[in-house]
Amino acid sequence: MMMVKDYLDGLKNGRIPGSRCKRCGNVMFPLKPVCSDCGSFDLNELQSKGKGVVRSCTVIYAAPVRLKDSAPYVVGLIKLEEGASIMGRIIGTDPDHPDDIKAGTKVKFEPLKQGDEIVVAFRPQQ
Amino acid sequence: MKKVDLVGVGMTVFGKHPDKTGRDLLLEAVRETVSHVDMGIDIKKDVKALFIGYFTPELYEHQGHIGALAAEWLGLSGIPAFRTESACASSSAAFATGYWAVASGMYDLVMVGGVEKMTGLNTAGVTDALSIAADNIYELPTGITFPGLFALMAQEYFEKYHVTWDDLQAIPIKNHHNGALNPRAQFRSEILDIAEKTGNKIGVKFKDEMTFLKSPSNPAVTYPIRLFDCCPISDGAAVAVLASGDISKNFTDKPLHVEGIGLGTDTITLSGRKDLTSSKAIVNAARAAYQMAGVKPEEIDTAEVHDCFTINEAIITEDLGFFGRGEGLKAAKEGRTALSGDKPVNTDGGLKCKGHPVGATGIGMIHEIWLQLRGEAGERQVKGNPEIGLTCNVGGSNASAVVLIFKR
Repeated sequence: MMMVKDYLDGLKNGRIPGSRCKRCGNVMFPLKPVCSDCGSFDLNELQSKGKGVVRSCTVIYAAPVRLKDSAPYVVGLIKLEEGASIMGRIIGTDPDHPDDIKAGTKVKFEPLKQGDEIVVAFRPQQ
Repeated sequence: MKKVDLVGVGMTVFGKHPDKTGRDLLLEAVRETVSHVDMGIDIKKDVKALFIGYFTPELYEHQGHIGALAAEWLGLSGIPAFRTESACASSSAAFATGYWAVASGMYDLVMVGGVEKMTGLNTAGVTDALSIAADNIYELPTGITFPGLFALMAQEYFEKYHVTWDDLQAIPIKNHHNGALNPRAQFRSEILDIAEKTGNKIGVKFKDEMTFLKSPSNPAVTYPIRLFDCCPISDGAAVAVLASGDISKNFTDKPLHVEGIGLGTDTITLSGRKDLTSSKAIVNAARAAYQMAGVKPEEIDTAEVHDCFTINEAIITEDLGFFGRGEGLKAAKEGRTALSGDKPVNTDGGLKCKGHPVGATGIGMIHEIWLQLRGEAGERQVKGNPEIGLTCNVGGSNASAVVLIFKR
């Protein structure tokens, strides 16, 4: 049975854990314990290669309390090569130029250390 | 199943109530409700169960167990009572629970309500409290916020339909116009009046709404969303009384019939959705409500929809089938959703101007439909004796939704 711990442990080791349905082949990122398409409990773990493109992104100016010193920063939805999407911070881009990152921009996974936790993050590729 | 009728609704003014707690606000809304039941009601005798929506009382008031608390505060201790929670749709969840309780025949009359006392926390504290309506493991660690989630939807909408932030502004301008006519609204001013007031303070003359909305006086919150795209932080409560069709005539000869009710969910993660410009929660809820009521989208005379951020009014009016895909903004720009339009939406000013005390919002919407269908909306009354009204209240980033259809 897949648990949240499997996701968090994977992330700590610099991977993005996902799952693939053994019955219908549906790919899910981050990992889900039950197939979102056919409802099967029978899944395999799947690691993303960490490559994808931006679907949509935003600049956060008004940040949560714990991140107020980091603002402004960029967050986006990334469509992974494997076929599902994941939310992540987008690093290595200037938040003052939000239109630099367009839908379709190629990005690569780069785990970001934020205090004690590892956060899903991506860096635009040239 | 029993027929279910709405026999009374009441609400506080939405806004800042520094001297009142959640329970004070709830009592105020109950007293309003009682005064609106045409033939009177003795709540001690008549109310058989109580359901109250409140999203995060733990965070705002360090208070749980709202059902028993509310029952005691209203002098109703002894009856069944509990809290319902579905983020910003918490009071519509209370309404649905009350509907099922009466429709099943288990109780002949119930009180449903909602409350949120938010302004005790500062903006950062409220942002944190609201954020727990999103996925705290898969998405919040990225630093996303609620305005951020809706910014991601807006960006995908703009990209898909080749529109810009400028096109969105017809919505807040319209909602401020309506809110200016609503004595219960938090903001009762046209955007032009706010622009003039702000301009006088800083020595600038704004020539029209857009000049003001594009100025630093309307700061960015999460690109491309600015302050006037966001609903405010509010305190407030709203309450309704539901009675079985067998006994509603004892309370009023002008009830609203609950003709359709539909609920649904979408993924709580945005990453789980293939399309950010639509919500499965709303589409499913609307389909169920229309089917139950035997009503088509074009037959709805007026609607209240969840414009927590301006983009959501466009998304919801499309998901409800009022307009085609990508046509929600165009409809707003053409004035079709204005008070004088063919499909008036958010005649009370919407969440943007009326305010959004999260747990009270759904029944606050029903309050407006009650006034409109009974011809009691005063200066903002929709013309042509509207007969059928709809509310669409959503939780979080449209991850849960309740659609209700009322007929007079």
